This record gives sequence, structure tokens and C-alpha cells, in this order.
Amino acid sequence: MASELRIKHVATVECAKLLRHALSSFLNVLDMDPTSRDDIVTAAGEALVNALEHAYTGQELGTVELYAQENGSEGVSIIVSDNGSFIVRDHTPGRGFGLPIVHAIAKTVSIETDKGTRVKMMFDAPNRTPSVQIVNEGDTSGNV
Amino acid sequence: MNANSTFDTIALAGELDIARRDEVRQALRIDGPGSGILVDFSEVVYADSTVIAQLLRFYNDAGELKRRVAVLIVAPQLIRLLQYAGLSEIFPLFTERSAALNYLSEVGDKS
Repeated sequence: MASELRIKHVATVECAKLLRHALSSFLNVLDMDPTSRDDIVTAAGEALVNALEHAYTGQELGTVELYAQENGSEGVSIIVSDNGSFIVRDHTPGRGFGLPIVHAIAKTVSIETDKGTRVKMMFDAPNRTPSVQIVNEGDTSGNV
Repeated sequence: MNANSTFDTIALAGELDIARRDEVRQALRIDGPGSGILVDFSEVVYADSTVIAQLLRFYNDAGELKRRVAVLIVAPQLIRLLQYAGLSEIFPLFTERSAALNYLSEVGDKS
């Protein structure tokens, strides 16, 4: 059975931290190793930056949604979506690092720009952090 | 910017993301020629690409003024962020303060 997280928030720059922390907590529940967790949060954070920075420029502020799903061996998928405009590339010198970072981390990235922007990222199945083994009293075999 | 006997220090902490972009821009500002600069990110636990852009601008500004920069970072997330952006070889990065200070001192000795 898939585990899911879905949060929708008004697209203020302050919500990025809130959404990242929610995602990090969700991934912690999955016992994901810290490196994989932080990388996924970083990639999702870059998609959020893109949405918060560009989606509603010059128009009424809308919402941004973060959706995360863990589905066993299929891995983790993250979708960041908004109802605004998509900017393919920021040509300002020293900018435009966001999507290359997303591509460097995610296994696959797809971007749909119909009725807003929807960035879908797929990540490998999480490496679980080693769980603590509880050894029964008197049992030295290591079996629980 | 806090003055030191041999270099200046710019220190930021916490999570540096798009919500703190203006604060980071203000902090990473160079007024003119001077000594080397330690960018102390040792208390930064998260950063996004908006910080990379500011750091790159700052580093270029410092270079134009012949001011050397050492960047102290500890958080693995920030180190990997720079690697993913292809910039880990651009900045003089240090994970230990003593190494960063030695680098700035050596630069100072040579100048």
C-alpha cells in the first residue's frame, strides 16, 4: 500500500520551509537514510523555488501543492504543482541552477505546463536506515 | 561583516532559502577593496539555489576587487547542492575552520 503526503498552500515564499519540513518528516517515517532524504528534499525545494518565484509573477497569487508518494520498490515520486506560468529558463547570469539540480538528483523528471506547471520527479526506492535489532534475553543468535 | 585582524567574516545560519533571499543578498555584499573574506556557513543547515546565485555573484565581485574568499560549509546538504550545480570546484570550499583560516592567512602572507 502506498504512503502519501499532500499539502496545498498559498504560494508565499515563506511556505517553502513549511513544505520542505513536512516532506522531510514524511521521508523520516519511511526510515529513509539521511542522504537520500536530504537529496529528495533538495530537489523538491528547487521545484518549489521555481513555482514560488515565477508562477504568479504579475498575477494574483495562487497556490502551490506538494504531493509525495512512496510505493515500495517503485520508489518515491514527488509532484510540485501550481496554477501559474512556467519559465523554461532564467537567462540572468548566475541563475537557472534549480532545474539542473533537480535533474542531477532525480531518476526521472517530467514537466507538464498545461493549466499551470506540474513537475514530477521520481527517485529510487529508499535505502532504509538500519533498524535496531532487539535480542531476546538468553538468545545470543541475534534473532528476534 | 565583522572585521578581523587579517580578514573579514560574513556569517549566516539556519535555513537559507528563497524567503531569506534579500537578507542573504545584503549579507553577501562587498563595499570595496580590503582583506580576505571568510564566508562562514558552518551554522547553515540547508540552502537552495537562490543562495548559490548570491554566492556566485559575491565571489565574482570579490575577485574583481582582488579580495580572496574562503567558504566554510559543514552541512552535507549544502556540499552536495554545490556539487549538483557543478560549482563545487569554483569556490574555495572548506569543511574545517582552521583550514579556511590557514588559506586566508597564506593569501595574506603572499599579498
